[in-house]
Amino acid sequence: MTHTVQVLVLGLLLGGVYALMASGLTLLFGVMRIVNLAHAVFVLVAAYLAYVVFQALSIDPIVSLSITMPVMFGLGVGVYLLLFPRIETSPRYVEMTVLLTFAVALVVEGLLTFIFTGIFRSTRPGYVTDAILVGDLFIPTGQLYAMVVSLILLSGLWAFLQLTRSGRAIRATTQNRTAAQIVGINVRRTSALAFGIGMALAGASGSLVSFLFPFFPAKHWQWVALLLALIVLGGMGSIKGAVMGAIMLAVAAAFVSDRFGPTWSPITFYLALFLVLLVRPQGLFGAKLRL
Amino acid sequence: MSGIPIIEGPLVREAAPDLAPERPPGTMSRRITLIVVLGLVLLFPFLARPLFSSYNYVMQLGIVLLMSIAMTSSWNIIGGFAGYISLGHGVFYAIGGYVSALMLVHWGVSPYLSAPIAGLAAVAFGVVAGLITLRTRGPAFIISTIAMLLLVLLFLDNWELVGGTDGLNLPLSQLPVEWLKWPLYYAMGVSAIGAVYLSYRVAHSKFGLGLRAISQDETKAEVAGINTRWYKVTAFALSAFFIGTVGAIWGYTLTYIRPVAFLAIAIAAGMVLAAIIGGRGTVAGPVVGAVLIFAVDEFTVRQFGQTALNIVVAGLMLLTVLLFFPQGIVGSLKASAKLPAFLDWD
Repeated sequence: MTHTVQVLVLGLLLGGVYALMASGLTLLFGVMRIVNLAHAVFVLVAAYLAYVVFQALSIDPIVSLSITMPVMFGLGVGVYLLLFPRIETSPRYVEMTVLLTFAVALVVEGLLTFIFTGIFRSTRPGYVTDAILVGDLFIPTGQLYAMVVSLILLSGLWAFLQLTRSGRAIRATTQNRTAAQIVGINVRRTSALAFGIGMALAGASGSLVSFLFPFFPAKHWQWVALLLALIVLGGMGSIKGAVMGAIMLAVAAAFVSDRFGPTWSPITFYLALFLVLLVRPQGLFGAKLRL
Repeated sequence: MSGIPIIEGPLVREAAPDLAPERPPGTMSRRITLIVVLGLVLLFPFLARPLFSSYNYVMQLGIVLLMSIAMTSSWNIIGGFAGYISLGHGVFYAIGGYVSALMLVHWGVSPYLSAPIAGLAAVAFGVVAGLITLRTRGPAFIISTIAMLLLVLLFLDNWELVGGTDGLNLPLSQLPVEWLKWPLYYAMGVSAIGAVYLSYRVAHSKFGLGLRAISQDETKAEVAGINTRWYKVTAFALSAFFIGTVGAIWGYTLTYIRPVAFLAIAIAAGMVLAAIIGGRGTVAGPVVGAVLIFAVDEFTVRQFGQTALNIVVAGLMLLTVLLFFPQGIVGSLKASAKLPAFLDWD
């Protein structure tokens, strides 16, 4: 029994970080119908950034959020303005976004490999090897911190989308782009903002990932498949769905990993992805992914 | 580029005005191109021998080029004609490689004999995977093909029977070094010619017409009475065959295979990239794209050595093509009626 609870807790802890990564991805799809295959590679860019500042200036990865988030925000706005306004009128727009972001992912992966080579990296702040014991439960400190930071950021995102004017503009654009334009929302600027926020969330996840999982440049393909599985399960475009999907799949993966060994845990995500696409393509909370 | 009318311009037609059916313009130049290209492919090992001191290296380049032509032309059947972009075609390559390698290691069957079987195994997998993944459309399909690729990678990596991540060592060929590459080269040549011929036959059939209808508007195609599901699954499976056979031959060329040699995303990306740059949905496009990507790849490797920069270049090329001429080279030239007749294979 304790063992089951232990696995559940570990799954839930990871679920928070997955949710943070996936929230940016689902936001981009919601607002701009962009299926961003480069999302995970941008998480990696931030992870390398966190790694560099950790190595060079010994800045703690959690503190490095204050660097990775604004940098990635700026990068996001730049990438958006450079690539996406051009293809807005393309007849097969969504497919086009997949291919474009695929190309971006290749370029960034190549550059990362060139600069950092293919070897495993991670930041090692003191707390990653610590753990807290609650009764019989073993709670790794690093994962706990990451979970807490993710929850804070996700609540912040929620508050921003619900309470601010720009947040409402983003939600309006998600619901109906044309109608949003009619009521006077600058859709292009809102999209750039949403892209920036999505990338900033990727940046925050990168800082957290840098001490949670060792990483190398080609690893982002596994992550992006994992993230897509989460948001397809939750329903693409729905942030609530992404969080639910992340928690469900992270817990499921923790049990698979416990039963069959950690090498098999990614299978949870791939099988879930197939299953959802076949049985309920619209996911739990989302619009149907059939465009 | 169009010195063609001289050969079969007005003169020919005046000489035989009522000769029916009239040849479409450019037939002659296409035939000449065909003969020249086939001749070059056939004679390349003989021609290269006195010309290059690093003979085996040049033969290896020929093998790689023919392989990528075969793969890109095959991918084009589903990705180009039907418009279903698959990022998971590395799976068929891996299946081809592993089926043939296992037959060699366990039963001693020569890869040249097992290559067609490897191709059929890839087709069989294509039918099953197609029945599942092709229930989705557009972006959902692309995502599910990535998941398919990673799923197969996970299985091969963890399956001890086929060597897992450590891979499999294949027995070496007994041929003397200077002849070593010959059978590999010609086997790749057969696959490349087969794949282009298959692509040509599909393009000129009712089946190909159906695929194009699906790519333009699937719902309308369905309403027009096309069994879209059957068409798509068939196209997916057909596109697997020659990727399977070249996988088998490539495994034997490597002599040591491991999952990531076939299933790296960069390999799947290569097919997509070459087909899109050349012009997907055309017969000549994938061939042009494969040759171009091959040349650029060779150039970057020579300039910068074996670094990751060739994926950067590949990615930048894909970006440029997508943003500025999404129909690719052959497609764009065709749209502006500037395509030289010798490249108009449709």
